[in-house]
Amino acid sequence: MQLLKVEPNGTAKAFLLSSAIWFVVGTTLGGIDATHLAAPELIDNIPFLVFGRLRPMHTNTVIFGFVGTSLMGAGFYLIPVMTRTVLYSERLGKLALWVWNLSILSGNVLLGLGYSQSREYAEWIWPVDIGILTAFALIFVNYLMTTLRRQEKILYVSVWYLFAALVFTWCFYFFGNAVWNPRTGSLAGLADANLAWFYGHGIIGLFMTPLAVAVAYYIVPIVSRAPLYSHSLSLIGFWTILVLYSHIGAHHIIQTPIPTWLKVVAITGSLSMLLPVATVLVNLWLTMRGRLGVLHANIAGKFVFAGLVWYALVCIAGPLQALPSVQRVTHLNNWVIAHSHLGVLGFAGFIGLAGIWLIIPRIIGRPLYEKRLADIQYWLLIFGLTAFHLVLSTAGLIQGNSWLNGEAIYRTLPMMHIYMVLRLFSGLFIIGAAYIGLYNLLRTLYWPGKIKEGLP
Amino acid sequence: MKMVPMVIVTGCLLIFSAVLFISMLLPWHTISEAPSAVVRARTPLEEEGRRIYQNNGCTFCHTQFVRPFDWGSGSERISQSGDYVLDVPHLVGTERWGPDLSQEGGLHPDDWHVAHFINPRFVRPESVMPNWEFLGMDQIRALIAYKQSLGFKLADHRMARQNFWKEKALEAFRAGPDENVRWLHDHVPAPWRELPNPYPTTDYRLNRGKRIYQGFCIGCHGPIGDGMGPAQPYLDPPPLNFTLLKGRGISGGILYYQIMNGITGTAMPFFKEELESEKIWSVGEYVAVYFIGETDSRRETVTIDIANEIADSPLKKEEE
Repeated sequence: MQLLKVEPNGTAKAFLLSSAIWFVVGTTLGGIDATHLAAPELIDNIPFLVFGRLRPMHTNTVIFGFVGTSLMGAGFYLIPVMTRTVLYSERLGKLALWVWNLSILSGNVLLGLGYSQSREYAEWIWPVDIGILTAFALIFVNYLMTTLRRQEKILYVSVWYLFAALVFTWCFYFFGNAVWNPRTGSLAGLADANLAWFYGHGIIGLFMTPLAVAVAYYIVPIVSRAPLYSHSLSLIGFWTILVLYSHIGAHHIIQTPIPTWLKVVAITGSLSMLLPVATVLVNLWLTMRGRLGVLHANIAGKFVFAGLVWYALVCIAGPLQALPSVQRVTHLNNWVIAHSHLGVLGFAGFIGLAGIWLIIPRIIGRPLYEKRLADIQYWLLIFGLTAFHLVLSTAGLIQGNSWLNGEAIYRTLPMMHIYMVLRLFSGLFIIGAAYIGLYNLLRTLYWPGKIKEGLP
Repeated sequence: MKMVPMVIVTGCLLIFSAVLFISMLLPWHTISEAPSAVVRARTPLEEEGRRIYQNNGCTFCHTQFVRPFDWGSGSERISQSGDYVLDVPHLVGTERWGPDLSQEGGLHPDDWHVAHFINPRFVRPESVMPNWEFLGMDQIRALIAYKQSLGFKLADHRMARQNFWKEKALEAFRAGPDENVRWLHDHVPAPWRELPNPYPTTDYRLNRGKRIYQGFCIGCHGPIGDGMGPAQPYLDPPPLNFTLLKGRGISGGILYYQIMNGITGTAMPFFKEELESEKIWSVGEYVAVYFIGETDSRRETVTIDIANEIADSPLKKEEE
């Protein structure tokens, strides 16, 4: 079967290419969604593209399709490299790829047709959930079997994180989507709101974060040509993130009438998050200290460094936003949208792109088609995301403070207009970056033309 | 610590189990399942409407909970845990591009909702909500039934009032303009009927009134105040034609009272949560001057002078 063709590192390559395609799809959907808020009747009365259906298509595509696919694809390359063996089964890997991609595709098409469970990042209906769970399981088996056949005795920290991500995500996904309730995919009442955010934050904290940290832990020492600063810090960062990041989801609903003890758990956990984040960042910072020039000479190093800076910013903001006094202003408005883009695109997305640009040339044994295009992608994303974040944070502060002052939501809508236009424009930089990245990747893989001198 | 696959996977499962117990199972069994006093079962049509709401992602712009520090949201009841026992899945929401809907039922009559779903800007000119005409009238009817049930028994109470007054309003409208205007005035308390607009007619005030008219009124009453705005075909009784009102004793107080409180049973909503006092006077003055063609602005009254507009101020002299 052509689709399950076996070739060395074929699974990793196919995952990374899929990710670049989902990046284009996801950002394009997001762009169309942004036009709705700037000009609600520009794209009008098309059921498939109405705001409420498009928004979950956008979020799920970028979280699972773009970020998840690139980072797990990087895992398919990193696990064999770090255990000094070959992947257990390329065929199984390809099978996982197709189950995964078809699940994402069908989930989104169904959302467009109006089939949604309407719980954030758990909108996909039951059959799609089963596909996603199957894909996670197949990927886990492949990682595990590869690791069990390793030639290298010591497992590097990246391997720990890849396993933790898959185990936790499978569990979060299974419980969070209430898979035992196929018709609704949910519980009843506020218990369901709590479950949904237990899951929702789990996807951020125990899916995207450990995967991205795994890739960063690999790329930083390799590219800056320096040994990892501390094994102990790796251990502390690893176990504390699992304990502390997993139970803070209720900070999304502390303004609803959930039990007070649950709010206390969520807020305390959120603040404690600074511990694992600081541990990882300090460990990586002390690894690359003094070698930033070397790191930035490499396109993957550049992306990882920027991703870690976004990580620091988003993880300082996150715990503070969990505080009730801060949330009075920042909750329910565009501040949160700015924050989530910083986390998904800035942190996990940037590191996913670093994975693509590091691993693809290594797999195919040729440099990138055009390193400058990757640089252009980098700068478009840096500018686009910075502008996007500033615009939406500003809009959020205006909304939050106006509401707190007793202004009706309707009265704040005209104030938002200019920010939604600016948001659309800053989003165009991000969309452009996705298209340039896909073009560069396709040319690298299939139509490199004249080989340019020097490795990336 | 020797990190082998067994240690990592077992450690992950142990930690996840502990977290699952604390953060999911404990809340699941401790969050109250006793319904609050206002809860009642939904009808099949309301349930269908809820599914349409869920499938179309309405929850991404509308919350269904009122926080203790919220105001201006149209709902006066802070949400309680027991309000949600029937909600599968929950639709609490995390963003507010539109108003909170937890007490939406009965704030508007059904015909207002029809116009609003066909094109939200027909009745709310600055809304960014999508048009839902593509759903078709059957689904829109179900959605409206669901929206009118939000708030359960409190919503039923408000709906009963809407239906009661709609009949009266229709009766008055069908009796012709004279009778209709009389009926409308009769329901404004006497002190308000006799109250003139206390502010002077100035360009400043008329410009503000125009801006507010465009943001709040134009969809129903139309750009020339004849009640032929884009929402008109959907509304029964139709929006009031201001140009008929000259010489019928419309005071500033009547306009103010009706803008403030709305006219229950008709599509005219209350604006007191969105517009402060001076803005209501301004838009009333704009309607009086431009569409009715007469104003009682600052007619002699027996009240104390308004502090910032003293009767013999230079501003008054400038006007003269």
